[in-house]
Amino acid sequence: MLKTRLFLLTALLAFTASRARAGIPAEQDDCLGCHGGDKSMTMDLPSGEKLPIYVDTAVFAKSVHGEMLRCADCHSDKNGYPHNSKPFKNRRDVTVAYYEQCKACHFANYTKTLDGVHFAVLAKGNQKAALCVDCHGSHDITRPTEPRARISATCAGCHQKESDVYVKSVHGKALAEQNQDVPVCTDCHRAHDIADPRDGKLSMRTPEVCGRCHTNEKLMAKYGLSTHVVDSYLSDFHGMSASLQRKTKGGPKGMVAAVCTDCHGVHDILSAKDPTSHTVKANLVQTCRKCHPGANENFPSAWLSHYQPSWNKASLVYGVQLFYKFLIPFILGSLAIQIVIHLWRVVVNR
Amino acid sequence: MNAPAQQHSEQIVRFSFSQRLEHIVTIFTFTGLCLTGLPQKFYAKGWAQWMVEHLGGIDQTRWIHRAIGILFVTATVVHLVNGLNALLSRRSAFTMLLNKKDFEDCVLQLRYYLGLTDEHPRYDRFDYKQKWEYWSLFLGNIIMGLSGLMLFFPTVFAKVLPGQLIPAAKVAHSNEGLMAFFVIAVWHIYNAHLQPDVFPFDTSIFTGKISRERMLHEHPLELARIEGRSADDDHGHHADASRKVG
Repeated sequence: MLKTRLFLLTALLAFTASRARAGIPAEQDDCLGCHGGDKSMTMDLPSGEKLPIYVDTAVFAKSVHGEMLRCADCHSDKNGYPHNSKPFKNRRDVTVAYYEQCKACHFANYTKTLDGVHFAVLAKGNQKAALCVDCHGSHDITRPTEPRARISATCAGCHQKESDVYVKSVHGKALAEQNQDVPVCTDCHRAHDIADPRDGKLSMRTPEVCGRCHTNEKLMAKYGLSTHVVDSYLSDFHGMSASLQRKTKGGPKGMVAAVCTDCHGVHDILSAKDPTSHTVKANLVQTCRKCHPGANENFPSAWLSHYQPSWNKASLVYGVQLFYKFLIPFILGSLAIQIVIHLWRVVVNR
Repeated sequence: MNAPAQQHSEQIVRFSFSQRLEHIVTIFTFTGLCLTGLPQKFYAKGWAQWMVEHLGGIDQTRWIHRAIGILFVTATVVHLVNGLNALLSRRSAFTMLLNKKDFEDCVLQLRYYLGLTDEHPRYDRFDYKQKWEYWSLFLGNIIMGLSGLMLFFPTVFAKVLPGQLIPAAKVAHSNEGLMAFFVIAVWHIYNAHLQPDVFPFDTSIFTGKISRERMLHEHPLELARIEGRSADDDHGHHADASRKVG
């Protein structure tokens, strides 16, 4: 009898207490009774590392899951006391062991990660590969895009070298000035199904990746940039080659035709007007020589710099185009007329 | 002349073995170049991508195209050297050269087709249509060969010539190639296969022989010369026999 009354009292207290604290379902598990108190609470691992097992109630309450999830929703193996503990060797083991917990709710994004480079690296046994919590956090998960610049900062956590280059690029500098138009890492690399940039498939996709913004009339008008960069590229030798190489089964063999990033750079893209840019006229020979070792200073003018030939730009090319525009219909028309009148005469003669 | 007089069995030798061989080589190289070249021009089309895929990818397609191109250019050079040699050593009159009569023949032929006259031009070894096709092909070969080499070795050409010649060569190569394809597909196939006089198939360039009857009809002036008589002796095949070979 006494036991029952005591239990009811505790339950009532716990209930009112949780209502008072913004109703965190996690609290209802009473896990925070132990894990939410002592900030120095840790667990010793065989590796000698200490695993912090304190959870800041306020931080969790503010996280996207704060009003939604119970502790056991993610820590599904800890639904009783004492906990059935698993034999973790080190802290990374713990993270890897819990990594699939997100799958239950975020199945679509989880599936995407299976096509991603991080998963491929993990599958090969490299436990350093980024897992959900490495980018999103665990108890402190907030919307990853708020603010947008946070995304690039997140990737920089591991990819510092690339980040150092990116922040100096035309896109990176603008991002630092709170510009919301420029691409962050995930705009080109994607977030969950990140392609391995080393196998060439991502660079083959650059006309489409870069084209998403650089063919957007409204966006480009804001910066005075041409939206014809993609179609002028695709109609030129490099563009047609790359388009066909992309269609080749089993990927391209040998050298891949230049894509956007081969001339403009990857993380170090600068404005084409910047004197240190790879594509500014003074540096163009060097850029061409990356693929055409024998190129001299005449060679860069073989590339029409994304211009459509006209009387003012590339007049020779324009002239040849115009010549055939008239010659082909004239010749073929004359031949066709001759065939027709010949046949007509044959019919008349009969 | 490559055609010695042969009157027996009503068959006349019109083309020598080397001429027939040249034609066969041209058929195969030209077809090969079209098959590997046109899909590059129309790379955005589904059929082009299908063809490139079945040729082993764009890189392999290009190597095949270049290999056949080299053969094609070589054949053209051999033809040019042989032709010049024959012409300069005066072993033969170069029956393919254009002359005033070809233009007159052309006008007369068109007037005949239109029903403005009943007088049909009387042709020598090659009529103006054949000459036009020959010289078009010859000039086309030079354009295709030169522009093709520029596209094959762009950095080498840019060393001595303005860089803009490379994209200009690409435009020329692409358009000239397409035009050549259409001229052959429409005009040559019509004249050698579909036109009523030869339908369904003119075999003379393959067998080297042509019937005397066809010679009389299509090349009366040459036939007369072969048979060592004046063209006027033709018994009224066509009214006007006064025209002589230039």
